[in-house]
Amino acid sequence: MAEGELKPAAMQVEAAEAASKPRFRMPVDSDNKATEFWLFSFARPHMSAFHLSWFSFFCCFLSTFAAPPLLPLIRDTLGLTATDIGSAGIASVSGAVFVRVAMGTACDLVGPRLASASIILITTPAVYCSAIIDSPSSFLLVRFFTGFSLASFVSTQFWMSSMFSPPKVGLANGVAGGWGNLGGGAVQLIMPLVFEAIRKIGSTPFTAWRVAFFIPGLLQTLSAIAVLAFGQDMPDGNYRKLHKSGDMHKDSFGNVFRHAVTNYRAWILSLTYGYCFGVELAVDNIIAQYFYDRFGVKLSTAGFIAASFGMANIISRPGGGLMSDWLSSQFGMRGRLWGLWVVQTIGGVLCVVLGAVDYSFGASVAVMILFSLFVQAACGLTFGIVPFVSRRSLGLISGMTGGGGNVGAVLTQLIFFHGSKYKTETGIKYMGLMIIACTLPITLINFPQWGGMFVGPQPGATAEDYYNREWTTHESEKGFNTASVRFAENSVREGGRSGSQSKHTVPVESSPADV
Amino acid sequence: MMARSGAALPPLLLLLVVVGACFARPAAAAQSHLSALGRTLVVEASPKAGQVLYAGEDTITVTWRLNASAPAGADAGYKVVKVTLCYAPASQEDRGWRKANDDLSKDKACKFEIAQPQPYAYAAAGPGTRTLRYRVARDVPSASYHVRAYALDASGAPVGYGQTAPAYYFRVAGDTGVHASLRVAAAVLSALSVAALAFFAVVEKRRKDE
Repeated sequence: MAEGELKPAAMQVEAAEAASKPRFRMPVDSDNKATEFWLFSFARPHMSAFHLSWFSFFCCFLSTFAAPPLLPLIRDTLGLTATDIGSAGIASVSGAVFVRVAMGTACDLVGPRLASASIILITTPAVYCSAIIDSPSSFLLVRFFTGFSLASFVSTQFWMSSMFSPPKVGLANGVAGGWGNLGGGAVQLIMPLVFEAIRKIGSTPFTAWRVAFFIPGLLQTLSAIAVLAFGQDMPDGNYRKLHKSGDMHKDSFGNVFRHAVTNYRAWILSLTYGYCFGVELAVDNIIAQYFYDRFGVKLSTAGFIAASFGMANIISRPGGGLMSDWLSSQFGMRGRLWGLWVVQTIGGVLCVVLGAVDYSFGASVAVMILFSLFVQAACGLTFGIVPFVSRRSLGLISGMTGGGGNVGAVLTQLIFFHGSKYKTETGIKYMGLMIIACTLPITLINFPQWGGMFVGPQPGATAEDYYNREWTTHESEKGFNTASVRFAENSVREGGRSGSQSKHTVPVESSPADV
Repeated sequence: MMARSGAALPPLLLLLVVVGACFARPAAAAQSHLSALGRTLVVEASPKAGQVLYAGEDTITVTWRLNASAPAGADAGYKVVKVTLCYAPASQEDRGWRKANDDLSKDKACKFEIAQPQPYAYAAAGPGTRTLRYRVARDVPSASYHVRAYALDASGAPVGYGQTAPAYYFRVAGDTGVHASLRVAAAVLSALSVAALAFFAVVEKRRKDE
């Protein structure tokens, strides 16, 4: 790649200037973000950050969705009604709504490593306590607090956006998010198997499911400790170190907040994310029970089917991220937006079909798989766009989008899967219609320098202007906005193949030191 | 990557449909409906109305006999009697997975079979009087129940039934599954997690101050 070839020359210049500058095994851009993505490498700090973040997020998903595959047993042990189950399902995803937004801010202020490890370790007691609950209300409470850990999604995306350059950020975000979401699928397979194993050892059914909860709990604890021990916030170091040495300006919550909430694109993406990721969460909660009750299959079979829904994340979400990056290389940001709208709308159509084919077991499984591929790819496509909405408030906007995902999950479960009002297959059909409707706002997103779905770029608008808008002249003079300037340079490709709109004619390969 | 996964889709779907067909339940052999069966048996169970039985400890004694008002010779085809524990309506409410259905192959309310089907014997004490003692199994959940007995013919199809409902229901207090060791393990591991966080926070602060 051209970027890699020119890098050594630029890096030698920089190395001569500042001997203390860290050297990386991977090729990097002017921001020290990796310009390549080596999936099977653990190279520090970029790829090790990737593996730590996706695995710890995976463990959070394991814990949050450990209950659904065991519901046929838990509901008998605790005497739960359909309303209790629905409420707990809603609780499991509602806690994270505000915690995700808070996580965004925490990432902006103290860095993703501390922020994610903290939320994960603080919520593990709820997972352990799931083993000793004895009433519908305690069931609701443990699911509520366990769900907080899903906020670590925000730190995953923030961390990847800090470690990987714009041409690869969609892929990095997609794989990290997708492999984390995998937990929601894997657990539907793991928990029934663990349950069977424990029962074979000699436990009664009503004890066996309780013991099974220790598995996700332990994994969560261990993965968070690994993040603390081996992780690093940014390519150049941890936040505390960078703040102290003055390399990084310590921003204020007020400014970060203001620039996030006044950006309408953040709100639209929050809404639409609720109808890809939110729907995914809702389905994680209801699908095992649906197959068990509607088709009378065994608990482990229902778990296997539910697992395949979540396991599609292995390729679907990264596929979405990859597609976003590819569309950007051809059509710029407009390609990313179109890709998201088309894929998510198809997901909605397939959801309607899933509700309609409830008469056939084979068809339901097949449509569910297709549906999962599209809805999860849409999640990957969303986070191909989020890193570009703001540079100053990246964390908070990631948090808002992530939180919006959970709001979608809450709303969907509240309206369609709570109590006995709708049969599950009817709820699924209506959910599909809601997906299609709530995906339309993507047509309204417009970046002045790159355009929107139906609008071309404004002549004369540049990425530098867009990102520097977030800083006052005073702050710019002090150099607080250097990260934004570098990001704008590296985002040149979002203008599409027809050429960038950048004021600078400097290509993305060289660093400012050359100018 | 989407294109590659797109090419793999048709064979994957085919595989899934085949797998799905293997797992799908075979169609129910008999289409018997409860309303079509005569309520020809009188069933009595030992628990009194509202009594609480403990799973794994207490026993239920069930007796059944031919209803005196049944036509003579109604029990000619009765070969065995299958006794089940059924959920009371109160325990079925808002729980679609316990719903009663007139079509016996779809009925979900009477899931617990009390022992093996017993021969419908003609004993000296009277036509078809039998008793059965049953210790409530440990996997019977906490709920309200009544007892129902189906009379089966030689081919195993139900031809008559009787039940204690709606006269009275009794409760079972099921196994909660919680043991002291679980409580201890949960407490210890929770404390360890929080302690780990505190440890790293202190270490960070020390490093920052250096």
